[in-house]
Amino acid sequence: MTVHTAPPQMKTAPPGRDATAPHPAALFLRALWARPAARKLLVLAAAAAVLVPVAAAAHGSGTWPSALTVDLSKPLTGASDWIIDNRDSHWAFLYFFGHISGAIIAAVHAVYTVLLALGWAGVTAAAALIAWRVAGVRVAVTATASFAACGLLGMWVPTMRTLALMIVAVAVSVAVGALLGLAAGLSDRTFRALRPVLDTMQALPAFAYLLPVVLVFGIGVAPAVLATVVYAAPPMARLTALGLRSTDQGVLEAVESLGATGRQRLLTARLPLARRELLLGVNQTIMMALSMAVIASVIGADGLGDRVYQALSTVDVGSALAAGIPIVLLAIVLDRTTAAAGASGPPSSSARRPWVGWALAAVVTASFTLGGRMLGSQTWPDGWTVAIAAPVNTAKDWMVDHLYTGLPGIGGTADLAAHYTGWILDPLRDGLQALPWWGALLLVAALAWLIGTWRTALTAVLSLAAIGVLGRWELSMDTLSQVLAAVAVTLVLGFTIAVPAARSPRVERLLRPVLDVFQTMPQFVYLIPVVALFGIGRAPAAAAAVVYALPAVVRIASEGLRRVNPGAMESARSLGATGGQQLRQVQFPLARPQLLLAVNQAVVLVLSVVIIGGLVGGGALGYEVVFGLAQGDLATGLTAGVAIACLGLMLDRVTQPTKGARDGA
Amino acid sequence: MARKTMVGAAALCVLAAATTTACGAADMTKQASPYAAAAGTKTVTLSVQSWVGARANTAVAKYLLEHELGYRVDTVQVDEVPAWDALSQGRVDAIMEDWGHPEQEKRYVEDKKTIAPGGDLGVTGHIGWWVPKYFADAHPDVLDWRNLNKYASQLRSPESGGKGQLLDGSPSYVTNDKALVKNLGLDYKVVFAGSEAAQITQIQQSAKDKKPFLTYWYEPQWLFNEVPMVEVKLPSYTQECADKGAADPSTVNCAYPTSPLKKFLNADFTRNGGKAARFLKNFQWSKDDQNAVSQMIAEDKLSADEAAKRWVEKNPDVWKKWLR
Amino acid sequence: MNGTGAGTGATTEQMPEQTPEHAPQAAADAPAVFSVRNLWKVFGPKADRVPGSDLAALSAEELREQAGCTVAVRDVSFDVRQGEVFVVMGLSGSGKSTLVRCLTRLIEPTSGTIAIDGEDVCGMDKGALRDLRRHRAAMVFQHFGLLPHRSVLDNVAYGLEIQGVAKAERRAKAAEMVEKVGLAGMEDRRPGQLSGGQQQRVGLARALAADPEVLLFDEPFSALDPLIRRDMQEEVVRLHRDEGRTMVFITHDLSEALRLGDRIALMRDGRVVQCGTPEEIVGSPADDYVRDFVRDVPREQVLTVRRAMRPAAAGESEEGESLAPTTTVAEAIETVARTGTAARVVDGGRCVGVVDHRSLLGVVAGLDSSRKAAA
Repeated sequence: MTVHTAPPQMKTAPPGRDATAPHPAALFLRALWARPAARKLLVLAAAAAVLVPVAAAAHGSGTWPSALTVDLSKPLTGASDWIIDNRDSHWAFLYFFGHISGAIIAAVHAVYTVLLALGWAGVTAAAALIAWRVAGVRVAVTATASFAACGLLGMWVPTMRTLALMIVAVAVSVAVGALLGLAAGLSDRTFRALRPVLDTMQALPAFAYLLPVVLVFGIGVAPAVLATVVYAAPPMARLTALGLRSTDQGVLEAVESLGATGRQRLLTARLPLARRELLLGVNQTIMMALSMAVIASVIGADGLGDRVYQALSTVDVGSALAAGIPIVLLAIVLDRTTAAAGASGPPSSSARRPWVGWALAAVVTASFTLGGRMLGSQTWPDGWTVAIAAPVNTAKDWMVDHLYTGLPGIGGTADLAAHYTGWILDPLRDGLQALPWWGALLLVAALAWLIGTWRTALTAVLSLAAIGVLGRWELSMDTLSQVLAAVAVTLVLGFTIAVPAARSPRVERLLRPVLDVFQTMPQFVYLIPVVALFGIGRAPAAAAAVVYALPAVVRIASEGLRRVNPGAMESARSLGATGGQQLRQVQFPLARPQLLLAVNQAVVLVLSVVIIGGLVGGGALGYEVVFGLAQGDLATGLTAGVAIACLGLMLDRVTQPTKGARDGA
Repeated sequence: MARKTMVGAAALCVLAAATTTACGAADMTKQASPYAAAAGTKTVTLSVQSWVGARANTAVAKYLLEHELGYRVDTVQVDEVPAWDALSQGRVDAIMEDWGHPEQEKRYVEDKKTIAPGGDLGVTGHIGWWVPKYFADAHPDVLDWRNLNKYASQLRSPESGGKGQLLDGSPSYVTNDKALVKNLGLDYKVVFAGSEAAQITQIQQSAKDKKPFLTYWYEPQWLFNEVPMVEVKLPSYTQECADKGAADPSTVNCAYPTSPLKKFLNADFTRNGGKAARFLKNFQWSKDDQNAVSQMIAEDKLSADEAAKRWVEKNPDVWKKWLR
Repeated sequence: MNGTGAGTGATTEQMPEQTPEHAPQAAADAPAVFSVRNLWKVFGPKADRVPGSDLAALSAEELREQAGCTVAVRDVSFDVRQGEVFVVMGLSGSGKSTLVRCLTRLIEPTSGTIAIDGEDVCGMDKGALRDLRRHRAAMVFQHFGLLPHRSVLDNVAYGLEIQGVAKAERRAKAAEMVEKVGLAGMEDRRPGQLSGGQQQRVGLARALAADPEVLLFDEPFSALDPLIRRDMQEEVVRLHRDEGRTMVFITHDLSEALRLGDRIALMRDGRVVQCGTPEEIVGSPADDYVRDFVRDVPREQVLTVRRAMRPAAAGESEEGESLAPTTTVAEAIETVARTGTAARVVDGGRCVGVVDHRSLLGVVAGLDSSRKAAA
């Protein structure tokens, strides 16, 4: 601040010099001021210089001051108790929530009954035929094999339950999402209001959604469906709005010039033109719903997720795998089918008669259903199962015996986990927790502002402050340390893989199916193998997070690198740049937005798994949520859930450059 | 397009369901699981807790209900406290093993009368802190809590930082360990494994390397057969301490009680559950029986069904009584 | 340009000064289809305050700085007469596309009046406006505006579908239109499978299918290759010749304007700087901007003998080749060069003047306009 006193000093200088050569400090300042980044930092430094001494004097420089926290546990516990006491008597529950819950249960029951009535033969046939009609023979074969595999693994009934829950949840999500998207697509005001909400929801870990619904609906299928809907509807809303808003203005104008009414415009032009986005939205909604339906087993969703959850609690890798494989297969079939529907062009209206194919499909399904009934087995025949649990467990034991400690030289996975915990996580956590609270706020503000706008910075700082106010500062710093470390590992690995993948089409071809499979897997599935390999604690949670986030990072980064303007690459090559120089000087700088997006995705995905890591000893906020659910202590769980949401929001805003910049404009 | 039709049909179902139920009150505490009775058979839903002993109870009950009484049995894993809530709502019909939840018992059994006691399981449970026998043999004085601080440095782990590690299991278990550590002035940190299985894995790994550890554990437990452990004496349990703890859990400074494990049934199910309800009430076996099944599940990695089958085949005299 | 009449509803009696003195004979006495008076379109906050206020006198730059508004159309008045091709020409940003969109209120005008067949367009309610767009004025767009998910036939039938015409009927009508624009055999293709020229033919067929009173073209051929553009222009000429439909044609291409237009309105910064026949534009540019604009036009192709003729001297009105007044100077040069003598300009059997070597060359050299300017 002292440099600003330069003008008075100049009075003493000879007038001639005064005009030509200003004070060097002022010059330096002016040069700094010219750079936007430096300008932001200067403003922040000025604000900090005023505020920090005050804050530090009032509340010290340690962890978040207790004077600034609000204890919500009393009112939350009160609310939770009130809800439990009044759930069977208060009108809000009897006449509103009760009907929602009843309708969901009735719907799931109806779908489940239909699936059971179709029997295994009917369901498999129906799945195969739908896949065939929508996506072609290959996917149809995959579908048949997948459903057969579900049966063979002895998971037929759980699979049907998950499927029933999914169908209802996806139907509601798509309906709700499409309506919201429609509103946002047609009205600018709704769009402006909805977008930050959807953005935020997209950044929140699935776990944070569980508690509020449990608070109102208790444990069971109805809250599981609701949590799934809340989690899975945003992408549909987003993409619907996007699709409607990105329709070719020229086409719309032409349609209007022909005298179309608003309804005609929507039905004959906007919606058909947004078809690709709509189907992509359905696809994403299905994948999110599956992921959530599995996680929701923690609140009594039953089905495949419940089997994984049960197996997880006994570290029975074999059984977990038997339940996990159907989840993955289901994910692959659903993904391929809906993705194919979106990728293929619009159905030709005149040439072929589509209903013939569908009628055929219905007839075949019906005959298979009858055939299955004739065989006398509705659910998968007991004799036709393959028990993979025992051999898998033997293999796992062997692996654990040989990998866990046995490796000469590097020790084993246990040592790896111990080193990761001791050398990386602990110092990082201690460092973050030792950071003065105002320092953390300043750091976040600076980062968010440098990358985004003052708005994103404000959101990030407020989110972090909210965590402090909730009294979850230290736990959040613990979670944050786990996220940061895992993100660092993910990025190093991801970029290392992305560079060759972007360079060589062959590597890309090899990698693609692997990435596809990894990306469609629900988060839950990753927890089992890592516990077997790394024991319990923060290390396995980190390992699961890295594996979960890696595919997205590799995909986004390699795509970004590949899409770098070939002209720029060519000119670099023509100047004789080496491969490394091209990478450093052309590809990385030009792919910067994509790479930042990869970082953003890594942060969001890693956070979501680190939270679930509470189930395998990850501790911190994730554990609080698990604890809250397990003990019915919703005060603890909800507070932690809100803290997680704030942390997610903060991390998202700190790493979100372009979107934030556009927001501000 | 079939997907669309399917989705549409499902949406219709939702709508239809909404309209049919829309006129009048809908008590969601009376709404059963959508999967119950879907196949047209009599279905019983049992809550499974995460620890192996509870799985053994459920496995045997399920096997007998299905093979002797002709029911269909669903098992749902729900944590203990939410299980009470689910039981009261009828989303599960029975909890086979409860370690004592006085608050819930008062709310649901006494006040709301939505849950009925189902009698004793026949097993007595005890929670405590335990160290492996090989460690206790080498350092006998570790068995008194007052000496625990002496061994804190030997019981350190990466997760416990500079302090000794007290290994805890699932967050859902009944535990006062954090309060105990604080109130007894121990230089330890409670580390939650996240699940019992994770805890057992950790114990087995440590035992294999003959490393010392201190863990929250309980009896009956089959793991004692594999890893012999000795209990550390905590300040003895008193009624006064229990009352204090009931008022404010963070003040507890004495050992855990020894309690007979109990069964609880949904009140409606008790009345209308017919043979199944009677069977579940009669279900009673010994600690050794439970351990035998637990061991088959957890150690021999048999499926719960298979383990139950083997036990049932060997012990008809025990379970025949339950069918009366 | 009088800005005072804005918003007060100028009537046909208050003809602004740029109304052409010489309209082409064919349409000069025809009734006006579109009648536009004192039209303003201002984008930006409080746009409706600009017309009629002091702000209206400001230049575009000043207005942007002072009010944050952009003026796209500034106090424009003209008539489009039945059966004529009325071309609005200007460089990009001159407001011509905005102007044509105002005619059917695809863009809502800020002030001024528009009448179609004497009926006030600005006062129409939604239903009447839709009716106008469905039956009376159809538009062809620069970027075609076709629906990519529909076949060619369904695209052409789209306007009829909107009107609620039964399926069989609209398909028959559409097939007829497809045939008319020369796309027979491509009915089942999708727009994505067609070339740019073919796509624009679909756009044209779609506009024609509704059998509108007026066709509005918004730079329809700007995105096409030069050769295809010429084809399409001929197509339009042919259509106009066959059906005599009124057309409003927007273009930035002067040669296109000269080729197609019966009359041309030349726009600059939202104003119509000159409105007249091609000959008037080329022969008598209203200001330096127009003069600059038409400098490279081959004058002999556009100007007629009317411009080159001098009064007949004694005896001249009886002999020599006779030429119609609409004959271009180029054609007259050919005649005069062939015969070697002066030619008569005959209008309705009466000799109105004479052209010879000297007068024709004077037009080509541009001496006539300087003479006129000096006069």
